[in-house]
Parts: sequence; structure tokens; C-alpha cells
Amino acid sequence: MGLRWYHFAAWAAFVGFMFLLPEMVSKGTLRIIIFANFLAVFAISWDVLSGRTGYVSFGHPFLIGIGAYTTAILTKRFDVPVEISIPIAVFVTMIGGLIVVLPALRIKGSYFALITLAYMELIYQLVQVVRPDLTGGTRGMSGLPTLTRGAVNGYYMSLTLMVIVAFGVWLVMRTRIGTALSAIGMNEEAVKGSGLSVTRLKLFAFLLSAMIAGLGGAFYVHYLGSIAPRALFDINFVFTIIVAALIGGASTTIGPIIGAFFLTFLLEYLRPYLPGAERYFIYGGVALLLYMYQPKGIYEIIQQGWARVRART
Amino acid sequence: MSMSLTITNLVKKFGGLTATNDLSFTIEAGQSVGLIGPNGAGKTTVFSQVMGEHRQTSGSIKLGSEEISSLSTPARIRRGVSRTYQVPRPFSDMTVAENIRVGLMPDSVLGMILKGANTDRELELALSVGFSEDDLERTPAELSMGDLRKLEMARTMATDPKVMLLDEVFAGLTVAEIAMISDLVQKMRADGMTFLIVSHDLKALEPLVDTAIAINYGSMIAEGSYGDVMASDAVRASYLGEA
Amino acid sequence: MTQILIQGLLLSGLYALIAMGFTLIFSIGRILNLAYGAYLLIGGYTYFYVAQTLGMPKIAGVLLAAILGCVMGLLKYRLLVKPLKGDHVAVEISSLILAVVLQAGVVLLFGDSSKILLPIIPGVERIGGAAIPYSNLFAAVASWVILISLYLFVRKTHTGRAMQAVSMDPKGAAISGIDADRINMITWGISGTLGAVAGVFFASYTQLYPGMWVAPLIIAVAVVIVGGIGSIIGTLIVAHIIGFMEVMTSAFIAPELRGVMTMVLIIAVLILRPKGLFGREEL
Repeated sequence: MGLRWYHFAAWAAFVGFMFLLPEMVSKGTLRIIIFANFLAVFAISWDVLSGRTGYVSFGHPFLIGIGAYTTAILTKRFDVPVEISIPIAVFVTMIGGLIVVLPALRIKGSYFALITLAYMELIYQLVQVVRPDLTGGTRGMSGLPTLTRGAVNGYYMSLTLMVIVAFGVWLVMRTRIGTALSAIGMNEEAVKGSGLSVTRLKLFAFLLSAMIAGLGGAFYVHYLGSIAPRALFDINFVFTIIVAALIGGASTTIGPIIGAFFLTFLLEYLRPYLPGAERYFIYGGVALLLYMYQPKGIYEIIQQGWARVRART
Repeated sequence: MSMSLTITNLVKKFGGLTATNDLSFTIEAGQSVGLIGPNGAGKTTVFSQVMGEHRQTSGSIKLGSEEISSLSTPARIRRGVSRTYQVPRPFSDMTVAENIRVGLMPDSVLGMILKGANTDRELELALSVGFSEDDLERTPAELSMGDLRKLEMARTMATDPKVMLLDEVFAGLTVAEIAMISDLVQKMRADGMTFLIVSHDLKALEPLVDTAIAINYGSMIAEGSYGDVMASDAVRASYLGEA
Repeated sequence: MTQILIQGLLLSGLYALIAMGFTLIFSIGRILNLAYGAYLLIGGYTYFYVAQTLGMPKIAGVLLAAILGCVMGLLKYRLLVKPLKGDHVAVEISSLILAVVLQAGVVLLFGDSSKILLPIIPGVERIGGAAIPYSNLFAAVASWVILISLYLFVRKTHTGRAMQAVSMDPKGAAISGIDADRINMITWGISGTLGAVAGVFFASYTQLYPGMWVAPLIIAVAVVIVGGIGSIIGTLIVAHIIGFMEVMTSAFIAPELRGVMTMVLIIAVLILRPKGLFGREEL
């Protein structure tokens, strides 16, 4: 696997720093970081499937939504305790997602992106009209049980989730399966020509991605305590997830985390100057320029810069 | 261990075009056969049917005694048949070592996760096609056409084939590289590998094969020793453009 | 029944116009222009600003919308599609980002709230119990006029035939001396114009708000997917399938489900017939 002591040292330093953060920053900043943590989880989930294998999903909130709605309905309507509803939600996301996406996995390129977009629009419209007594219809649900109280606890919960997901994905992707998934993204035919069943690999990537999406969606809903279809199945949300993964650095684990924090803070620091939704204009513009300049993302820019510094000394 | 490849009454039609027309031949285990014919004769189509990239219209393909013509491409590769491509298809953002690693992987998700890469075998394969140890960390963008063919060869060998199909392995190679790949094929022949080789470089092909098969318009026009096939009227005519 | 027939025809005509600009780009470069919905957005708002805020003649509003749409199409090709040549995934992702940026730009200029577009032609015609606003009638007729002109342009003019050639076989077209770059420019310009004009009509059908670009994009996508690779005739047929399906769903099942049927259709066709109902056709 090529694991070295300094990999673990870097992880330990990162986790240690993040756990000490509440001592150093304000509660307001902490709430921003909570969102960044969740966004990082969603971006990692997207990257496992789309960043690595090149099967771009434009409907990732579809998966997040299955997880979020499952646990919301179970806790709110059937009084199921959260400890049971979250694992069920993750399971339902994986199986439910699998049933609908399985036939789509043989569809390549742009069409795959479109079918995922269609799935997101479909579920958006369905939750509003089918059994609104369960889903809460257009207005969604509020008053869901929350897991934590206060910014500091919410921060620790989101951080723990993000670190576990990131470290787990990092470990798995360092093995040969990570190489194989990236190989699909580069040349699917040549992977087949190396004797590997591409379908099985794509299925694995999808299930892992769905698991993380379901987990993230379920925890997010119990952090917010509410769920609204308009905000969840939103093209702006898709955009934020994809951009976080891409401008951070697709096909890496650290990239989506960098991207999520970069975007969240960019959005927050624009708030004083552009209080309304207009800041998406600057934010999107920056994202577009960054992506056009270096499609491999910030992580690649940092690495190239580091290589240049080392070459000089 | 080596295996034979038997093709019987193979037919492939693309719409109105017959790309393979009732082709039958056997390559005995450990034999090396040259497949020759003018451009567009249907050589590559035969390869892609043996590998299952195109499904034959009718006919049978046997590896040893097992019928493989209904299996998927990865399943055929695991049974022991593997090919190289005219246009090399490396994984562009991976190093030479990682490219070979993909070929060495078991076809099981758990197997990929639980067992680490066999870096010794990666090095061994890279060295056997003529890379140096330093080349392992290079990426395809830094490689010449010759190097890319060597990489293609190494990744194909990594799947542990019993029968290898080589498609234009000498195209774009320098004289030294041709000599090196030839030596490699000779060595593998001595170890009992079965080969089916397509090459336009007839001079390089001749010493590598036991017998030859000539096809044109998807049909066999000559079969026998390399010298006899090249001397046959049908083959001469086909290369001059008259069928 | 008459009502469904008329409503279906009117809606389908508009959908055909919406889908056409998207289809053109797809057939020329196999590119899914996910920023296409933004042309409609810009067209709608330009018309609103010129005709309603400034109070200029309505025809000036439509013309300016068309010109701005054309410029947007050309700029997008120059600045985004060409630099990323060949990488479809990158083009699609950057298109999506661009659409979100443009939406934010609209919010910046016009605010978040939705605006009602005054009818292009006021008045209502009653046919067999159905109330048909003149505006909708005008939109459908105008759509048909534009579509027929486009068809004649593609079939009869030299440039149109060159577009056909590029869509069928880019390499062959290049060998026969067609300047693919020029054809691409023209196509992107036409696509932007069509989108912006369709936006004016679409906005008068529904209403004007910053997020209005998603729904027509989905319709355009549905038409391309269901029809297979875009021919003008195929686009017309599929636009009518989708238009009538929506009208009938709202009339017989439930108005809220009209969009659902479109999604189900997209998904079913993609899974069962990935190349579309009509397969590959020429432009």
C-alpha cells in the first residue's frame, strides 16, 4: 500500500489541529466550518464515483436526499431512534440508489451525467406530490431530532464524520482499487483489456459513493433539524459539490476537503460586501477561472508550486 | 503451460460488409503464427473477435478445449488470451509501474484492497521489455512511441497469458527496439507461449513465426510455412491490390 | 378534447423552439451545452428590461434579446468551448458553472423576485371552451416560422449544407475544405439567438425569475435524449411527444405530475434505447 509514517503524522497533525480549533476561533466561524465539513463529505462522495471513474454525476443530491429523507421520515413519522434510523438510511441510499442507477452504469459520458440530473429532478418533484403526509410536501419537515446542541458540539460531530470518511476513503483509495478506479477514468477499454470487470468496479465506486452520501445526508439532516426539498435538490447545491471536488483536486482525497473549505470561506468572506445571493456571481466566476486555469485543481497548483520551490533550493 | 487457439467457421458481418468470412484455423500450443494480409483484410477484426470486443456473427473460438466465444473480454483474459493494440492505450496520468500494476490486478474488489501491489513483479515485467528501473516512475507523456509499445507489451504480459495476440508491435519502433522486442518474443516462444502476430514489417515477422496465414477480404487465401505463403500467387496478387 | 389539442400544439411549438438551439450544438459537436438555459434567461430579462422597464417597442426588445443571445453564444464558443477543445466533460462542467454565474448575474442586476412579463399581444381567444391567450398563439406561430426558416437555411444554403457536413463527419468536412471553426461559430451564434428568443416566449408563458433556466434546459435535454441525435424533424416530433404528454398528464392525472412524466420518459429511453427513439440521423 505504500503507507509511510509521515502519512500518519500528517493525518494526526491535521486532526489535532482541527480538534483544537474551537479554542481559537469564534462560534460564528465554527458554524461556517461545520458547513465546510459537511460539504467536504459530499464532495468526497462525489469524487469517489465521478472524480475517479469519470462517470460524472450531475444529480448527487439525489443520493444525499434519499439518505436525508429516509432518516427524517423514520424519526419524525415513526419515532424511530436516530441510532437506528441513520444506519437504515445509509442502507436504503445504497440499495435504492443501486436499483435505479444500475441500468445507467452502462451508459457512458454525457448521457450518464444527464440521467443523474433527471433522477434528481424526478425525486424533487416526487417528494412534493407523493405522500406529502410523509415527506412534508413542498415545505419539507422541521423539528427533527438533532444530535447535538450548540456550535462546538456540532463542530465536533461534523469533524468526526468528515475525518472518518476522509481517512477511510484515503486508505481504500491507496490500495490497488484506487488505481483501478482512476484507470477507468483514463481509459475504460484498456481496463477491460487488462482483464478486469469494469462493471464490478463501477458498482463498487457507486456503492461507496452512495454510502458516504447517505451517511452525510443523514447526519446533515439531524444537524439542521429540518429538511426542505427546494434547498436540497437544487442545481446550486449540485454546483457547489462538484466545484468543491474539482477546484480542490478531483481523484484525490485531500482535494475535495481543500475545495470545500476554500468555497465555504470564499462565500463567507464575500458576505459583508455582497450580502445577497449576488455573491454566487463572484464565487462562480472565481470557480470558473480556477477550473479553466487548472482543471486538476488547487492541490495540483500547490504541488507544482512546491516542486518549483524545491527545484530552486 | 501453454494453450492452443482454434477458430472454426468464424463469420463477422457489419451491416452488408463481411469482415470475416468463414475463417478456420488452429494454432497448436507453443506455436507462433503470422497473420498477414493487405490493409483492411480483416486482421484486426479477427483479433477483436478472439478477445470478445466484437461478437462474431457465427462460428466458434476455442482456447484449449474450452469454447470462449460467448465470454466477456475480461473473462477471456482470465482464461489466458491477451492482446496488444496497434495504437497503444496507456493510462495517461499513471506511472509506468502503475500501468503495469493494472494488468497484474486480480479481478476481485476484495483482492485489490487486501493485497498490496507486487512491485517486484512490476519491475521484472518492466525490465523484461527493456525499461530501466528509473523508467518505472515516468509517465506516458514522457515516453516515445517505442516505449509506449513496450509498456503495452508489459501490461499484456502482466495478465499472465497463455496465448498472445500481437497487433503491429513493431510499428514506430527503432531498429534497436525491434531487435529487443524480437528477442523477447523469441524467449517467450522458447518458454512455450502461443503467438498470433500481425505485422507489416515482414522482415521482422519472418523469424518469429513457425507458419503463416494470409487473409484478404476476411477469407483465408493461403496457409502454410512462411515462405510458401509469401510465394503463393494469391498473396502476391492481394498485396498488388487485385483480389 | 379541443382544448387539449390546442394547448398541446401551442406548448409543443414552443418546446420545439426551445430544444432546437440545444440540438444544433449537440449535432455539430456532440456537446451538451448545459449553459443553454442561460440564453433563455438572458433573452427573457433583456426583453423585460427593454420593453417593460425602458418602455421601448416590443419588437426592439425581441431583437435586442436575439442579438445579446447571439453574442453570448459566440463568446461561449470562443472563450470556453474552444480552449477546452475535445474534453466534453470539462466543457459540460464549465458550462454548468457558467450557467450558475449567469443566474447570479441576473440576481445582481434584477433582484431575486420573479417578474410578470406583460403579454406580447394582449387579449384572449376562446375556442371550444378553451381560453387561448393571443401571446401563446403568437409564440407558437413565431416558433413555427423560425423553425421553418431554420430548416430551409440548413437545407438550401451553402452554409447550411456545410453545417450538415460537419455534423455528419467532421473529418470528411475538413478534407473537403469546410472551415469547421467558422461553422462552429455560426452554429453557436444561431443557437444563442434561438435560445434568447425562446426565452422571451417561455417567460411570457410562465414568468421571469433567476432560476427559470433549469426547466427549459431539462426539456431541451429530454428532446435530445428521446429523439436521439438531433435532426430538425426529429426534434419537432419529440417536442410534440413531450408537449402533449405534459398537457395530457396535467389534464387527466394531476398538474403537479407533468414534469415527472418528462423525467420518467428521459430515464426510460436512456436505459432502454441509449441512442434515442429515432437513432442517429442527419441534421
